[in-house]
Amino acid sequence: MPAPYRICKTSELLPGEKRLAHLNGISIGVFNIKGEYYALRNLCPHQLAPLCEGTITGTTLPSPVGEYCWAREGEIIRCPWHGWEFDIRTGQSVFNPHKVKTRAYNVTLESDPSVETYPTSIDDQWVVVHA
Amino acid sequence: MIIDCDVHQTWANGNEITKRLPAYFRQGFYSMPSGNWQSPIGVNRKDAKPDLGEAGSDPNLLRAQLLDRFGISKVVLTGSGILGLGVHANVDYANALARAYNDALIETWMTWDQRFFGSVIINPQDPRAAAAEIRRVGGQDRIVQILMCSGTRTPYGQRQYWPIYEAACELGLPVAVHPGTEGRGIANGFIAGPPSTYFEWHSNLPQNYMGHIVSLVCEGVFEQFPSLKFVAIEGGLAWIPGVLWRLDKNWKALRATTPWLKRLPSETIVEHIRFTTQPIEEPALPRHFLGLLEMIHAEKTLMFSSDYPHWDNDSPEHLFPASISAELRERIFFRNAEEWYRFTPIPAAQP
Repeated sequence: MPAPYRICKTSELLPGEKRLAHLNGISIGVFNIKGEYYALRNLCPHQLAPLCEGTITGTTLPSPVGEYCWAREGEIIRCPWHGWEFDIRTGQSVFNPHKVKTRAYNVTLESDPSVETYPTSIDDQWVVVHA
Repeated sequence: MIIDCDVHQTWANGNEITKRLPAYFRQGFYSMPSGNWQSPIGVNRKDAKPDLGEAGSDPNLLRAQLLDRFGISKVVLTGSGILGLGVHANVDYANALARAYNDALIETWMTWDQRFFGSVIINPQDPRAAAAEIRRVGGQDRIVQILMCSGTRTPYGQRQYWPIYEAACELGLPVAVHPGTEGRGIANGFIAGPPSTYFEWHSNLPQNYMGHIVSLVCEGVFEQFPSLKFVAIEGGLAWIPGVLWRLDKNWKALRATTPWLKRLPSETIVEHIRFTTQPIEEPALPRHFLGLLEMIHAEKTLMFSSDYPHWDNDSPEHLFPASISAELRERIFFRNAEEWYRFTPIPAAQP
């Protein structure tokens, strides 16, 4: 069974942002894409570079010759070393999704009973990674 | 059985091409672009010169020295000293010369032996005219490919050349390149600068092949023309693994810049490009050569060529290490070419 790890409050990880964390010695990156939360192993399967330290970006979709369809802005992370692109939502590489991928973790939100008593913070939940 | 994919024929009478030129160009004030690098040992095998004319001009001697001597059942003729028209400064002359050459080929060599197959020579510097020439003569019986020079001003993937590929696909003919014009006429030389000797020039020839093949793949020519077949004649083999691997590696990082490339570039090359054997590379250790064949997917991509009657021609009997498998020999000597070229005419449609 994966264990839950509290990473930060939702107010500390806004849309478009990422946060690096260590879970029991494993480095991961946690991402907020338009209000949805994802977590990836901070390790590129190519040469084991710290993947999540790369740039959050978009990519070009498959297209006819000479056409460029820029899409998925904010959903792709490029490895900081060799520029390989990974889907933040799944950990799968863009060029070979089924063979080249990094581990993705389940992320949930949890309310903190201690803050529930304070009405001003009622929407500020914990981002929890299950690893 | 052997198919030879690069045989250089010519005519004993040099007038065969000239007399087919329009009157204006028959005056002879244009000559073929030359360069600083003439072979010090001559272009041709010394034993291939007939009594009359240059090597490759006598079909009987060619039959005796090549077809009969080695049991070759089909040869693809690639011309002599004619590809330079593709780097001539005057495109009108170059276009006229291509037409005259193709007419001479079809009216003479193509009629002399059923084992002779022809290449339509085109002027790539005028792609519209080249496409028109492909449509004019490309459907002739036993014309099996389109041929152009590998020395150019711009790499062959670029869009100005696409009319050539469109016409080639229309006629179902592979497009081939052959070296010799590098650094001559209007063509670029080598990327490091002009070499000092023919030795150096000849050793550098694979450079252009790398440039053209990388361009063809990255510009998306094979995505735009999915039925296009390309042949890299006489460009060497040992550089191919490096290009396959480097393209694949770079594609993983940089594919977003060419979003039309939807699979590994090496897969596209193996599907769409064929290479010819001569001048075969001769590593000191035969196992290195066999390893090379594996790296370049030779069972699919490699076709035998002798380059007869040139000085650097290869004998089919002493080309490969003895330990090469019989199956691979058959692929390279015969089957790959048989699958690539349309040697038998398309039957006429039934009414």
